[in-house]
Amino acid sequence: MIPWDKLHGAMTHFPIALLMFSTACDFVSVAFKKLSFARGLRLVSFYGLAFAALASLGAVVSGIALTKGDMWGRGDFGWHHRFVWPAFGLLVALAVWRLVVRDAMSRTGLCLYLVLMLLASGFVAAAGYFGGELLLSGGGVP
Amino acid sequence: MTSLEIKGAVAAVTTSVLILVATFTAGGIYRNYLERETEPGNKPLDAATLAAKGRTFFFQSCAHCHGQDADGGEDAPSLLKLQISGAHMALVIQSGIKDEMPSFAKKYNEQDTVAIVAYLKTLH
Repeated sequence: MIPWDKLHGAMTHFPIALLMFSTACDFVSVAFKKLSFARGLRLVSFYGLAFAALASLGAVVSGIALTKGDMWGRGDFGWHHRFVWPAFGLLVALAVWRLVVRDAMSRTGLCLYLVLMLLASGFVAAAGYFGGELLLSGGGVP
Repeated sequence: MTSLEIKGAVAAVTTSVLILVATFTAGGIYRNYLERETEPGNKPLDAATLAAKGRTFFFQSCAHCHGQDADGGEDAPSLLKLQISGAHMALVIQSGIKDEMPSFAKKYNEQDTVAIVAYLKTLH
């Protein structure tokens, strides 16, 4: 029997950490765009976002297996899902957009992208918070 | 915004929506499959029989800490009017809560757990 609780607990941390790291790299690269390492940071943020999107697939699949296909639920479980699904959708969308556009962003595009990255990070953080609450109140991940 | 950015936005929204739809569809199919699997002989017990079976298990393993009336004990909370889904209840019964409640996965199989959940739902 596959220990989905342990797998989900392990897999969720990759998209959370990578997305937040990618967002931080984007903001630092914009704030210090004239410095030599700004280009390198944009590259790091791109790969961070791409791997966060890929890792989120594993987190979602293990979560669905863990909950036996219960995609919504009530209480902390419901709140976890209310933030997970927008975070997942936004993360995938941002990764695809970044893959298409790369560094050829207009000023408006860049601003919109940064705002959405912050929003996605907020959703992911909230989903992680309620996931943690589930853990403490008996969500099953030891 | 440039035309490349707009093309990217269309691709992004399309991919995101498709993946979310696929995820929810797969989740629904998986849930239906499991519900059919857990029906003994594809003939589900009626709700009252299931809850009665769950009540027996409750008194065997849960009442000691959660109280005979499931209204809580010294070290365990009340199970009346639980605001969590059946899947979540089953998860707690099967996995336990670290340092607070043992796992009952070895004692109760999936069908037994479904019965306990059915009983807990009658306590609303």
